[in-house]
Amino acid sequence: MSSLPIDNNIRRLRFEHGEMTQQGLAEQVGVTRQTINAIELGKYSPSLEVAFRIAAAFNAPLEQVFQYRKDRPAKK
Amino acid sequence: MSFREKSAWVSFACLLLFTLGVFHSQHVHTHDAQGNDLITPLHLALAIFVGFIVLQVVLHVIIAVQSPKDARTPKDERERFIELRAARIGFYAVVVGELIAMGAYHAHGRINTMMWSVLFAILVAWLIKLGSEIVFYRRG
Repeated sequence: MSSLPIDNNIRRLRFEHGEMTQQGLAEQVGVTRQTINAIELGKYSPSLEVAFRIAAAFNAPLEQVFQYRKDRPAKK
Repeated sequence: MSFREKSAWVSFACLLLFTLGVFHSQHVHTHDAQGNDLITPLHLALAIFVGFIVLQVVLHVIIAVQSPKDARTPKDERERFIELRAARIGFYAVVVGELIAMGAYHAHGRINTMMWSVLFAILVAWLIKLGSEIVFYRRG
């Protein structure tokens, strides 16, 4: 359950793209596997650059990968 | 566990041993049969410092050998963010510690007390910084 006001479909997209591993995605994006895991679980908000890189790894628009939840309070 | 998190654990454990060792060394007196100092507290503290450095290096080499690719990779944004957050907490801790050390000097008037209080404050703040990093890594 995400504690941040941003949801993502990274896990689903990974499986749809040839069951890509977290390590595989991390190497494409240029972060660690643990960072990808933290992003997937909604525990860490990536920077704009990393968010775009993740979307580019799936050849998908940003909105398909990340969704902003207005109803959820911002993390302080 | 990532290399950076393992590194934080290693540094925390080594620093904790170092802190305990340094402050304990001031109470240790080793004498020969004639009552002469075999090793002064200062030399003992220096030996502990060298041991701290050696232990850190050895343990970091061991964890680097376990995951060489991870060790060679530069810190990513999340790891830099965790380090910055932990450093901020450590900064507050060192400020509080130094204020207490100054208070201790005003209370006792002994420069020796202040010196050890300052050193203790720095070491505790460093431990708090490393501990904060570990907590942030564990939280995800």
